[in-house]
Amino acid sequence: MARSVLERYGGFPFLSRVVLGFYDKVLDSDVLAPYFEDVDMRRLVDHQTKFMAFLMGGPASYTNEHLAQVHARLGIDRPSFDVMIETMRDTLEEFDMEDGDVAAVLHELRVRAPWIIAAPGTPAASAAG
Amino acid sequence: MDLDRFNRLLLESAGVGLALADPESLSIAFANPRFREWFPGHEAATPRLDELLTGLDVERMRSRLADGRPYRTELELKLNRRAMTIAVDVKHHEGDGTDLLVVECQNVTKLKELEYMVESYSKMVERQNRDLRKEKERVEKLLLNIMPRTIYEEWKEFGVTAPQRFDRAAILMLDFVSSTDMDIAADPPALVAELNDIFTSFDRIVEQFGGERLKTIGDAYMAVCGVPEPGADDPRNIARIALRMIRYLQRRNATQANQWICRIGINAGPVVGSIIGVQKYVYDIFGPGVGLAARMEALADPMGIMMAEDLYELIRDDVTVHDRGEVEVKGFGTKRIYSLEGMSDLAISSHDDW
Repeated sequence: MARSVLERYGGFPFLSRVVLGFYDKVLDSDVLAPYFEDVDMRRLVDHQTKFMAFLMGGPASYTNEHLAQVHARLGIDRPSFDVMIETMRDTLEEFDMEDGDVAAVLHELRVRAPWIIAAPGTPAASAAG
Repeated sequence: MDLDRFNRLLLESAGVGLALADPESLSIAFANPRFREWFPGHEAATPRLDELLTGLDVERMRSRLADGRPYRTELELKLNRRAMTIAVDVKHHEGDGTDLLVVECQNVTKLKELEYMVESYSKMVERQNRDLRKEKERVEKLLLNIMPRTIYEEWKEFGVTAPQRFDRAAILMLDFVSSTDMDIAADPPALVAELNDIFTSFDRIVEQFGGERLKTIGDAYMAVCGVPEPGADDPRNIARIALRMIRYLQRRNATQANQWICRIGINAGPVVGSIIGVQKYVYDIFGPGVGLAARMEALADPMGIMMAEDLYELIRDDVTVHDRGEVEVKGFGTKRIYSLEGMSDLAISSHDDW
């Protein structure tokens, strides 16, 4: 069986650096931070750990319904989602992830946009625009 | 640089929040810039420790300090939208003409985040382990359906199993005479359900006498005693199994519309047992012991059990048989064959009532 992205980069030690790096960036971002102002830190770290592990093929799984449920209250819009993608890219590149793997992780994230963005309307249309 | 200036610079630029407070009134006499940043509100004339540090358990702090012990706690606060965790350490400093509380605050947010993350990750891994264990049990159960447990253990441990020779395995072959005549086209699911039912009962009988079901091929059923662990009673047990299978079918046929008529051949002889196949593997036995059992099955009467002298000689004191004389058995030469009618605890009358 092919090894997952997470396994190839060293498992938990790598994941922990990426999650904390990403967490810092998100909370420093004027666009993203407001979404999490009222979210408990423990819950946020918990979710980011699981979700990041999930994106890298680690020991977590999310159904689309579960994702929608987790993000429903946040009301994330498409521009914010795009900022989130770029923030993720920055983080992964900072930790020397190879381009191909970065693209793979971001792809995993992008295909879940319809369940992360609140009331996605026409995600295909806005993606094209 | 004189020492005073150096000390002040240190206090002001340190990453640690420091404050001095009166032990009684808790009013703050001094706070460095970091402390002010984390706990704003110093505009008041006499800012008090318990006012600025919301969440501070004053009662507990006083009682700890009265015991001469430091008081430690963690406070959650929000700074520029960021949730922070500050570890607060309060000590009572007395002597040199001073009587003060020394308050030392450290930013432990990163530790906290890491702690939450480890917690989250370890839960994930635990769940994954649980799932894996369940999956493993499921696979094990499946594998135990196609190979004996001892063989499975060997295979699990070493990744391979060596073919094994058994000098006197007791083998049973059963086939149905008439199931092919049944109207399969009419109701295939019902036919399969009935066969399933019958084989499940056979499995129980086989198990009861320490045997193993090796396989079924269509409506043929093959069981063995003494593989992989030979026992002195294997030849008798295979006979007991055969008799009980016949009796089971007799009883079943008496109450059901579909009549299931079988032939059984039993034998005791040398076989080789091994896992066969790489991708699609199955534990199987082969050799003259199996071949002769198959020939006996072909020679058996409907609802009858046939064996050759090889097995008969081993169990002759315990069985009732009909001597069917000598016949030419293909591949085995001339053999005297016997149809098994009963044992001390069970008799069947194979010819009369089908």
